[in-house]
Amino acid sequence: MLKVEGIDVHYGIIPAVRELSLSVEKGQIATLVGANGAGKSTTLKAVMGALIPKRGTVLYKGEDVTGVPADKRVGMGIALVPEGRQIFSRLTVRENLNLGAYHRNDKKGIINDQEWIYGLFPVLKERGSQLAGTLSGGEQQMLALGRGLMSHPQLLMLDEPSLGLAPIVVVDIYKVIEEINRSGITILLVEQNINMAMKISSYAYIMETGKIRTEGKPDEVMKRENIMKVYLGE
Amino acid sequence: MFTPEYLIQQTFNGIVFGAMYALLALGMTVIYGILRLIHFAHGALITVGAFGFYLFFAVLGLPFPAAIVLIIGLGALMGVILDVVAYKKAVGGPEVSMLITSLGFYILIENLMKLIVSPQPYAFPTPELLDRIYSMPALTFRTIDIFIIATSIAIMVFFTLFVKRTKMGVAMRATAESGEAARMVGINIGRVISISFIIASAIAGITGFMWGAKYGQISYNMGFMAGVKAFVAIVIGGVGSIPGAMLGGFILGILEMFSVAFLPPGYAAYRDGIVFFILILILIVKPSGILGQKEVE
Repeated sequence: MLKVEGIDVHYGIIPAVRELSLSVEKGQIATLVGANGAGKSTTLKAVMGALIPKRGTVLYKGEDVTGVPADKRVGMGIALVPEGRQIFSRLTVRENLNLGAYHRNDKKGIINDQEWIYGLFPVLKERGSQLAGTLSGGEQQMLALGRGLMSHPQLLMLDEPSLGLAPIVVVDIYKVIEEINRSGITILLVEQNINMAMKISSYAYIMETGKIRTEGKPDEVMKRENIMKVYLGE
Repeated sequence: MFTPEYLIQQTFNGIVFGAMYALLALGMTVIYGILRLIHFAHGALITVGAFGFYLFFAVLGLPFPAAIVLIIGLGALMGVILDVVAYKKAVGGPEVSMLITSLGFYILIENLMKLIVSPQPYAFPTPELLDRIYSMPALTFRTIDIFIIATSIAIMVFFTLFVKRTKMGVAMRATAESGEAARMVGINIGRVISISFIIASAIAGITGFMWGAKYGQISYNMGFMAGVKAFVAIVIGGVGSIPGAMLGGFILGILEMFSVAFLPPGYAAYRDGIVFFILILILIVKPSGILGQKEVE
C-alpha cells in the first residue's frame, strides 16, 4: 500500500527526518512511536505531500507520488488527520465534513460515507449546524476523523488521535479506529500513547531523532527494547 | 442647521459613500483573509475601472450596460494579472515581500495611468439617466445614488450567498482559517487564491464606475484614498471578517459625512484627515474591530 524509501525531510535547513524507510501493507494498522521531536509528524506530512522530501521516494500503491502536492493526494485515497486536529473552527460541523469530500463528485458515495460516519459518531449529526470551534476536544477529534473519512481514503493517517483527551474518550476513539480498519481502510498511526497504539497495531516502528530505530511486531518490539525507559524516559 | 431633514440627508449621503467603501473593503478583506496580505493595489483598480468606463462609454460610444459588463471584465482581468504576475511568485515567502509587491503594484498602476491619461482630471461621463436630480421634502438625491445603493447591496447579498452556500465559498472560508489544513482536505489553494482575486477585482472594477459618477471627476490617482478608506473600513469592522468589512464601510461613510456636516464651514477639506483620526481611535479603543475575531492558532 505504502512504501517510503530513504527519505530526508527538512524544515527549511533543519533536518527532521533522515534516511527513513517504512512500509505499510494493505489492511494493516501500522504504528509509528517515539519521543517528542523524533520526526513522526514530519514523516506523515511527507507521505501526505504537505512536506516534500529532499531525497528518497514515497510509493503509494506502487506509484511514485514523491512530488505530488497534498491536495492531489487526497484524490488518490490518502488522508491525514493532523496533530491538534486542525478542524475549521469558524465553519459548521457539517461544512467541515463536506470539505472532506471536496474532491469528490459521486453524490451517492458521499451520502453513504456520511451516513456511516454519523453511525460512528452520532454527536456529529446532532451538532451539524454548530460551529466546529464550540465542540469539546473529544468531539473535535471525532470531527477531524469524520472529515478524513469523508474523502473515502484507502490509507488513513492519524497523528496523535489521543492527544489532550480524557482516558475514557481515548478508549472510544480507539474502538472506532479499529472499526474503521475492519471496514478495509489501511491505517498508519502516530502516537505517544504507546500502550494504546501497540494494542491495536499489527506492525510497529520506533523512531528516534529522525530515524527508524527498530521495527517489528508490537509484542516483539516491546520485548526487545525496553521502550518505556529508553525512548520515553519513563 | 440640525433639522431632521438635514440629518436624513447626511445619513443618506453617508450610506451612498459607505456602500462604495464597503464594496472595496469586501474585496480587500477576502484577499487579506486568504493571503494575510494588505492589498494596497486594490485601490488602483477603481482607477482602472473608472477610466475603462470612460473609454468604453465616452470614447468608443458603447451602450451603458455593455460598458458596465466590460469594466467588470476588465477588473477581473486585472485580478488575474495581479495573481499570476505578482502574487503567485510571492506566496509562501515572507509576508513582507507580498506587502511590498502590493505597494509596488499600486505605484506601477498609478504611474501607468498617469502616462496613459495624463495628470489632468477628467470630467466623468455619467449617463444622463443616472444624473437626474429628484427633490423630496426631506431628501434630495441623484439617480446614481440609488444605483450605487441598489447595486452594492445586490453584490453584497450575492457574495454572502456565494461564501455561505457554494463549495468554492466554503473552501475560501476554510483556506482563510488555515491554508495548510485546507490543502490537506484536498482544496487546491492556488485556485482559491485566483478566484478570490478575480471576484475582488471585478467588484473593484464596477466600484470605479460608481466612484466616478458620484464625484463627477476622475484622475489617475483617485485610487489612493479609495484604497486607504477601504482599509480603514476593514479595521473598523474587524480585520478578516466579511460582514465586518461591509459594516465598517457603511459606518465609515456615515461618520465621514457627519463629521463634515457638523464641522464649521471651511473645515470640509479635513474630511480625509478625519478618516485617519477615526482609524487611530479604533486602533486605540478596539483594535480587533466591531466584528473582529481573535486569531485562532
